[in-house]
Amino acid sequence: MMSSTNLKIAFKHLSSRLKQTLVAVLSVTFGISMYVFMNSFMTGANEVQTELAFSSMAHIRVYSDLPESVPSIAQPTGRDEVVFVRNEKILGDYDGIANAQPIVQFLNENEQVVAVTTQVNQNVTFRNGALKSNGQLSGVEAASEDRMFGLSEMMVEGDWNLLATRTDAIVLGIGLAKRLSVKNGDRLLVSTSEGTEKSLKVAGIIQTNQNNIDKNKAFVNSATARQLLLKNAGFCTDILANLKDYEAAIPVSESLSNSIPYKVEPWQEANEQLQAANGLRNVIALAVSLTILIVAGFGIYNIMNMTVNEKIKEIAILKAMGFDGRDITQIFLVQSLVIGLLGGLVGMVFGFGISRVVDSVPFEFAGMTTLPIIYSPKIYSLALGFGLVITFLAGYFPASKASKVDPVSIIRG
Amino acid sequence: MVLSVNNITKYFHEPETFQVLKDISFGVKKGEFVSLIGKSGCGKSTLLYILSTMDTDYEGQLTINGSLLTGKPQNELAKFRNEHIGFVFQFHYLLPEFSAVDNVMLPALKLGKKSSEEIRNDAMESLALLGLGEHAEKPSNKLSGGQQQRVAIARALINKPTIIMGDEPTGNLDSKNTKVVFDIFRQLARERGQTIIAVTHDDGFAANCDRIIEMVDGKIVTAI
Repeated sequence: MMSSTNLKIAFKHLSSRLKQTLVAVLSVTFGISMYVFMNSFMTGANEVQTELAFSSMAHIRVYSDLPESVPSIAQPTGRDEVVFVRNEKILGDYDGIANAQPIVQFLNENEQVVAVTTQVNQNVTFRNGALKSNGQLSGVEAASEDRMFGLSEMMVEGDWNLLATRTDAIVLGIGLAKRLSVKNGDRLLVSTSEGTEKSLKVAGIIQTNQNNIDKNKAFVNSATARQLLLKNAGFCTDILANLKDYEAAIPVSESLSNSIPYKVEPWQEANEQLQAANGLRNVIALAVSLTILIVAGFGIYNIMNMTVNEKIKEIAILKAMGFDGRDITQIFLVQSLVIGLLGGLVGMVFGFGISRVVDSVPFEFAGMTTLPIIYSPKIYSLALGFGLVITFLAGYFPASKASKVDPVSIIRG
Repeated sequence: MVLSVNNITKYFHEPETFQVLKDISFGVKKGEFVSLIGKSGCGKSTLLYILSTMDTDYEGQLTINGSLLTGKPQNELAKFRNEHIGFVFQFHYLLPEFSAVDNVMLPALKLGKKSSEEIRNDAMESLALLGLGEHAEKPSNKLSGGQQQRVAIARALINKPTIIMGDEPTGNLDSKNTKVVFDIFRQLARERGQTIIAVTHDDGFAANCDRIIEMVDGKIVTAI
C-alpha cells in the first residue's frame, strides 16, 4: 500500500537530519516511559492498599440486614374507624443468621470459594477492676478464621489456638489490652447489652496494624460468644467467604444472592472508600501521563511542521516530477510514524527500567518491603498504542498541509 | 501535433486583477525544438507552467498526445506529467540529500513500469552519455551548477517523455555550460526526435532553435 519510493524518500529525510529526528524520538520516549512508570506505580499502590484491606476484610460477607423501617401496625383500614396504637414494640428476631450450617455448606460447594468462616459479633463492655472499655467481641472458629486472615502470625504474646481448646480464652488487640491494663494470663470481665456477663482469661495479645482491630476488638470462641448472646448453636452474625479472584466478588455475590435469604455483600460495596481512593489514583495517573504524551505530540507537530517548511522546494520538485498529493502525505506521515514507533519501543524499555529501579527501593511500611510496582502487559501496550495515535495525529496535519502545496507558486518564487 | 493549446486566457488577481494571457492558441509538432521568448512579464513562464499541467487555473484547452488535459483532477495530471513530461528548472533542480543517480531514478521509480535494477541501468547510461558517469554516486549538492543541470536533464529524460519543458534552463549557467546544455538539447531534438519547449531570455539560445514563439503583453506576436 505504501510505495517503496515514498518510504525511501521518507527515510532519507529522517536520516539526513539525525539530530532533529532524535529529539523528536526522545520526546515520545519520555512521554511513554512516564506513562508506563506512573501507571505501574499507581496500580501497584492500589493493589497493595486493596490487599492490605483484605487482611481483615473478606471478599464476601453474608449477614442479616435490618430493614430500613418497619411498617407500623396502625394502618388505615378504609372503613369509618379510628385506629389508635400506643407504644409499639418490635418483638421479632431480626438480627443474625439463625441456622448458618446449610449456608456454609452451600458456600463451600461453590467452586469460586476457597475459604469460609463464621463469626458471632457483638458490642460489649470490657472490665478490668475499675478500668472499663467498650469494644467489639468477635466469636470465631479459631482454625478457619486463622486460615482466612492469618491471625495466628500476628500474635505478639500467647497462642491463638487456645481459642479452640478453652471456652474462657480471650485474645485482645494490643491497644485494647493497653487501655485495660491487662497482660497475658490476666482475667477480665465481659458484659453485654443482653445483661449477660462472663469472666475470661487472656490467652494472647494480637497486633494486626489495623486500628479497628488493635484498639477495639477481642476474640473468643464462637460458642462462648453465643452463650453471651443467649443464642443456640448454629447461630452466627456473619458468614465470610474468600474467593479465588477477589475481582470477581460482585458477580459471585449476585449469583449467591439468588439462593441465600440474607444480604450477600461483596467487599466493593462494604468499602466504597477503598474503591473511591483507588479510582481516584487511577484517574490521576492516567491524566498526568496522558498530558505528558500530548505535550510530546505537540513537539512532534512542531518538528514536522518545520520539516515540511524546510522541504517545501523539494515537495514542489516532486510534484513537478509527477508525485501526487497522496505520495507527499505518505512521505511525511511515515516520518512521524517512525518517530512514534521508535520512541514508543524505547519508551517501553525505559519505563520498564525505571520501574525496576523503583521496585528495588526499600519501603518497609504496612507490610510492604519495597515500593509497589506492577508489570502489566496491558499498561505497556496501552502506552505504545496511545503513543502511536498521538504521533499519527501530530504528523497528519503537517503532512496534509504538505500535500496541498502548489508547486507553481513555490518554483516561481 | 504533439501539443496544442486553444484560446488560453489567464488572470492574476493579486495585487489587482490583471490579464496575463490573452487568447493564446498554437500547436507544436513532434520533434520540434521550440523557444518561447519575450520581455520580463510578458507571460511566457506563466504559459509554460500551464503547458506543464502544474497550473490548472486558466480558461481554454490544453491537449497533449491527443488527450485533453483541461479539467482533469490533480492526481490524474500528476500521473500524466510523470509519464509524458520532463521538466528542467532554472534553479531548484535536485533533491540535495540524494546522489545524482538516485535523483535521475526518481521519476521512473514513481512510474513503476520497470524494475529498480533496470531503472538504475537506464540512469547510469543517461548520466554517462551526458559526461557524468564518474559522478553518478556523489550526493547532488556536491556537484557544480553545470553538472547539476545535466543531472536534471538526465532526470527529465528518464521516462522517455513526449515533451521536455525548460524554464530558463541555462539562466543560471556560465557561457561554457550554457553551450553544453544547448548542445545536449539540440542533439536530443535532432537525433532522438525529442520535442522540446524552452522559455529563455538568451537570444543566442533562441536563434539556434527550430522555431521561436515571441510573446508581448500576454499575446503571441510571431510564431516562426
